[in-house]
Amino acid sequence: MNPTSRSRPAPDVTAKGPTPQPSSASTAARAVRRQRFNAVDLSLIAVFAALLAASIAIPGINVGPLGVAITLQTLVVSLCGLVLGFARGTAAVGLYILLGLVGLPIFSGFRAGPAVLASPSAGYIIGFIFGAAVVGLLAAWAVRSRFKTAALFGAALAGMVVIHVFGIIGLTLKGMALPAAIGADVIFLPGDILKNVIAVAIALSLHRAFPDLLVRRRR
Amino acid sequence: MSASARQSIVLSAAGVDIVPADAAAAGPKTILKPLTLELAEQRIAVIGANGSGKSTLLRLLNGLVLPSTGSVRVNGLDTAADGAAVRRTVGFVFTDPLSQLVMPTPVEDVELSLRRLKLPKKERRARALDILAGYRLAHLAGNSIYELSGGERQMVALATVLAVEPSILVLDEPSTLLDLRNTRLLRERLASLPQQVVMSTHDLDLAADCGRVLVVDDAGIAFDGPPDDAVARYRALVG
Amino acid sequence: MRGHAHLVAGYIPGRSPFHRMPLWVKAVLLLLVAVLCLASPAVSVPAGAAVTTAVLLAAVASHGVARLPWGRLWRAVKLMLVFLVLIAAYQWWEHGALVAWQVVAAIVATVLASNVLTATTPVDELLDGLAAMVRPLERFGADPERFSLTVALMLRSIPFVIGAFSDVRDAARARGLERNLLARSLPVVIATVGYARATGEALVARGLGDPEPDDDASGGTGPGR
Ligand SMILES: Nc1ncnc2c1ncn2[C@@H]1O[C@H](COP(=O)(O)OP(=O)(O)O)[C@@H](O)[C@H]1O
Ligand SMILES: [Mg+2]
Repeated sequence: MNPTSRSRPAPDVTAKGPTPQPSSASTAARAVRRQRFNAVDLSLIAVFAALLAASIAIPGINVGPLGVAITLQTLVVSLCGLVLGFARGTAAVGLYILLGLVGLPIFSGFRAGPAVLASPSAGYIIGFIFGAAVVGLLAAWAVRSRFKTAALFGAALAGMVVIHVFGIIGLTLKGMALPAAIGADVIFLPGDILKNVIAVAIALSLHRAFPDLLVRRRR
Repeated sequence: MSASARQSIVLSAAGVDIVPADAAAAGPKTILKPLTLELAEQRIAVIGANGSGKSTLLRLLNGLVLPSTGSVRVNGLDTAADGAAVRRTVGFVFTDPLSQLVMPTPVEDVELSLRRLKLPKKERRARALDILAGYRLAHLAGNSIYELSGGERQMVALATVLAVEPSILVLDEPSTLLDLRNTRLLRERLASLPQQVVMSTHDLDLAADCGRVLVVDDAGIAFDGPPDDAVARYRALVG
Repeated sequence: MRGHAHLVAGYIPGRSPFHRMPLWVKAVLLLLVAVLCLASPAVSVPAGAAVTTAVLLAAVASHGVARLPWGRLWRAVKLMLVFLVLIAAYQWWEHGALVAWQVVAAIVATVLASNVLTATTPVDELLDGLAAMVRPLERFGADPERFSLTVALMLRSIPFVIGAFSDVRDAARARGLERNLLARSLPVVIATVGYARATGEALVARGLGDPEPDDDASGGTGPGR
């Protein structure tokens, strides 16, 4: 992405003359290295990280057969990718996890600190970063697809699979048998699928309310 | 920089068009028709209905919005070419102080403004407390911004903007979220400032304090002149 | 304020040795706990179990020394109880009771030790520690100032987001939609994005948060940009 045009403060207002502003999924990976976030980007990253932190304090619906109150957290992780795209979405989740590891009580159950890496659910938390990255990469392509809703849902599901795979690996690394780990994991699948449906619905509304949020203006 | 020196903002045929991000939507929409204006008076008010284009006009003045046609110059600096320098000259106060105050406490927010001066941490803190004391806000320095009243928040927001001594102050409906008493406090504070002030407002008393009033209607200037006539014109427009 | 209470929930004020210890000492101790728990089984199974048991006892003792409420210790364990039972069962079945004990004790010890660190260190100090860790990265292109600004923005936004959630919940309840997850989350996210943009704009207006101009002057600064 062209760093100069990205740093323009009000991206929704056209400047004089043609503004070359290539932005596409295929260049996203290259863009991360060169791209500098502008002030609005920083603000979006910070506020979505705050949304993640707040989501653990908001009681969702009680689905867990283990009596676990399912929070909106995985919904917001998907949303980071769907709404902010690859670079900013990954940065938002990364910032959230970093501050949680440093010691803010913002992991589910108000847990905090490096302890989380020692706990059995460490894999899920690491997986959030990769999940958001995958959703973000796919979302940039999905919003341009002819079947936008289905494509966005596909992106969200791909991210969910990544998170669950990381989670299962984490459980087995902590010494759980693979079948037991898978068994403990799939309990959360139906809830997560439901949350991804909602995440996509929210993302579609957001793209309508803020048309240039994910896809930067091209002309 | 001396705030009392004469400032000049010149708009030359500056207009703003919006191109919808969604390619399927209709073509460009004009949210401000090309304007040619020179703003040199010490106190200027902008009045007009919701959605008429007041905020767009004010945002042009510090480069938050860049003109799609024409140009805007502040003391000779082009807002598109020298955005950073223009924003150092023009302080901007938003309607909602909560989105303007970015740090958890007033003193930290003023320190953030002072960061540009590259002072050592201790000195920066002392300077920030001095500034707050100067605006009689010292007692709020360490409070959470969520614990401040709306009026206190707006005063803190004003202090954080004035901390870096801009020579022009632009305010977008600064009193819309304030009650009568806080509006009066704001009015007194603004009257005492050496800076050139340009503000939009729905408070016709606030507008009456200004030497020059612009009435904005339907993305253009419907009237430009002394407050009494401007208010009469505004009332006539509302019908 | 509810938002701020949520933020400091991890810290329990006190005057214990752990409260007065510098953060870096606590961090080194925590690292030591993790290394001992992970590395000791490599020597031998009984040695691993013995060392880990000792570390666990030390972690519990630290909890007492720091005068943290015991309920907090239990809460930390309770949150992972189901997983701990599953892990213990599998390890016992595969490798015997001693290994099962070592594995579970190692997890609990590390979690408790980290708990002591976060409960005895105020949030400000933790964040200063984080900033100190980021500063050396400046040489590699990191921008510590912008990083700290982003962290501050995040902290300051948490109360806003929690407030938005509760406002929207009340509004949804008033309309009889409290069981509708979409009605309860969409308005929050829209408000949040609007707020993020307004804040970003305010940063620009104050000349903050944009990359240093000399870093990205490559594109030129003509009016055509
Ligand atoms: N970024 C934007 N994208 C699309 N429309 C906009 C944008 N900014 C402003 N507008 C439209 O321009 C008009 C003028 O807006 P504004 O300047 O905010 O008015 P006012 O401040 O007088 O209420 C409104 O109709 C508004 O919807
Ligand atoms: Mg307005």
